Amino acid sequence: MYLAIREIRFAKVRYSLIAAIMLLVAFLVLFVTGLAQGLAYDNAASIQNMNATHFIMEKDSNHRFTRSQIKEQELTQAEAIVGQNNVQPLGVRMTTVTAEAATLKLDVTLLAVKPEGWLMPSVIEGNTLTMKSEGQVLVDDKLKDSGIRIGTVIVDQTSGMKWTVSGFVTQQSFSHSPAVFLSERDWQQLQLLSSTRPGVSGMDTDKAYSAIAIHADKAQVEHLAAALPDAEIVTKSAAVSAIPGYKEEQGSLKMMIAFLFVISAFVLAVFFYVITIQKSSQFGILKAIGTRTTYLLRSVTLQVLFICAGSLIISVLLVLGVKAMLPSGMPFQLDASTLAISCGAFLVMSLAGSLFSVWKVARIDALDAIGRTAA
Amino acid sequence: MRERIILHNITRKFEDGGIQRTILDQLNLSVSEGELVAVMGPSGSGKSTFLSIAGALLEPTSGEVLLDGESIIGKDKQALSNMRLHKIGFIFQSANLLPYLKIEEQLLFVAKQGGMENAQATGRARGLLQKLGLSQRSQAYPDKLSGGERQRVAIARALMNDPAVLLADEPTASLDANRGVDVVRMIADEVKEQGKSAIMVTHDDRVLPLCDRVLYLEDGRLV
Repeated sequence: MYLAIREIRFAKVRYSLIAAIMLLVAFLVLFVTGLAQGLAYDNAASIQNMNATHFIMEKDSNHRFTRSQIKEQELTQAEAIVGQNNVQPLGVRMTTVTAEAATLKLDVTLLAVKPEGWLMPSVIEGNTLTMKSEGQVLVDDKLKDSGIRIGTVIVDQTSGMKWTVSGFVTQQSFSHSPAVFLSERDWQQLQLLSSTRPGVSGMDTDKAYSAIAIHADKAQVEHLAAALPDAEIVTKSAAVSAIPGYKEEQGSLKMMIAFLFVISAFVLAVFFYVITIQKSSQFGILKAIGTRTTYLLRSVTLQVLFICAGSLIISVLLVLGVKAMLPSGMPFQLDASTLAISCGAFLVMSLAGSLFSVWKVARIDALDAIGRTAA
Repeated sequence: MRERIILHNITRKFEDGGIQRTILDQLNLSVSEGELVAVMGPSGSGKSTFLSIAGALLEPTSGEVLLDGESIIGKDKQALSNMRLHKIGFIFQSANLLPYLKIEEQLLFVAKQGGMENAQATGRARGLLQKLGLSQRSQAYPDKLSGGERQRVAIARALMNDPAVLLADEPTASLDANRGVDVVRMIADEVKEQGKSAIMVTHDDRVLPLCDRVLYLEDGRLV
């Protein structure tokens, strides 16, 4: 402690330089992490917010909600196995809508859920949907920026169906498009209108959904899989990563983060290793006059931690500052736990980086101090 | 009179390219309280090895080293480290101060390592610096000091933990003649005054009059 702090005080410029590099790397790590999380949320918020463990999807749908089609009959079967309360039908369709009295077109995702079911998000403004409501939808509050208000009528471009916005929900999106929640009944109507199959009749008895959200434990999942041969039980995280673009987006960002961690470890390792070699005669003297090796090792490690923690604190403040300045539409999310995990990982990586120097210091021989210092 | 360091029948052999070389051969030396012994000898005669063994940095192949009656043989690294800290004061060729500690801190650091209390350490450091005429420089960094001043700080540092033995490795090598004599006089005075035993390896004939005994290292023995 005594040595570590005084050395940093003495060689301020040297240590500030390395701290500056660490600060920039740490800032970048935190910023990209925030961006990755924000994008993930923007991409899959609606699904992630759903209180489900698994989804039942059609076989061969590649875990994609928009491709899958599930019949009412399967819903009934699922209800029989895991219980009615643990099963909720879900309709997903990506479409384009126009707001009546406006020329503007919007890409949205229609999410059909049972009103009063557990997939229904809570309303932050306006009225929620009830079993009786018809032709009414809840929309993500991001659509406010496009001029959508409570009472605005939106028209589905493909089916021509009209819905009135009855309320707003928040943080609801699917594949980067804002979510529009409609009731199950309106969904069936929509299915009828947009059905490409000609001459279908008796659709009332043949309702179709995109997927079924379930609460189930492992045994129940196995049971379901056996009972529904045409369906596939997909975990929530698999369903999320199958959302178009999700895996690719997250993959590249995660790779950047991983590289930044490794880079930071190497930068620290090289810096402290070079300094340690430069100081090896000093370490020899210190050992000769009776300083314990463990003390010197602690000293080196402490310096690494000190530099790292200092840079982290400043970069966290910077990131929080930037976060406050970002426009609300920017997908950026950094909660306290992610921040803590990133900082922790950073400290661990820096310690890994210091191992090299620690090993070097441990090997320096006190004998070097005698007779060989003239050089 | 007490002998604070005793080297008894010290032999040290090195394996060098498959050939056993005997550097020190049945070497004996005792230095009593208040005595400054100069050890001279050509390069390669084993002066460094001798000093390393006396300083508990190197174990002899055979023989016994007693510091204040305590043997250094068969101790683990940590125990040796502790002995160096408390029993031995080293003075090196060039002062070898830590560049990032102020003069007073150089001494305080050693005291801290030795477990001395802060107040006592500060008092002792000030006292030593005053005695060696360094009070004015106590808040300076070593690079602001002249060579002689630095070597005086090194003496103060060596004395800080009140060791039994002072070991000096050519303390005048990096100084001009007058400064060299000054520095050795200081060592000699401290040794007398505080009843320490001191061994100084040197090439410098001019400082010999200040020493109580002058020995030559030849063929692994002191004569």
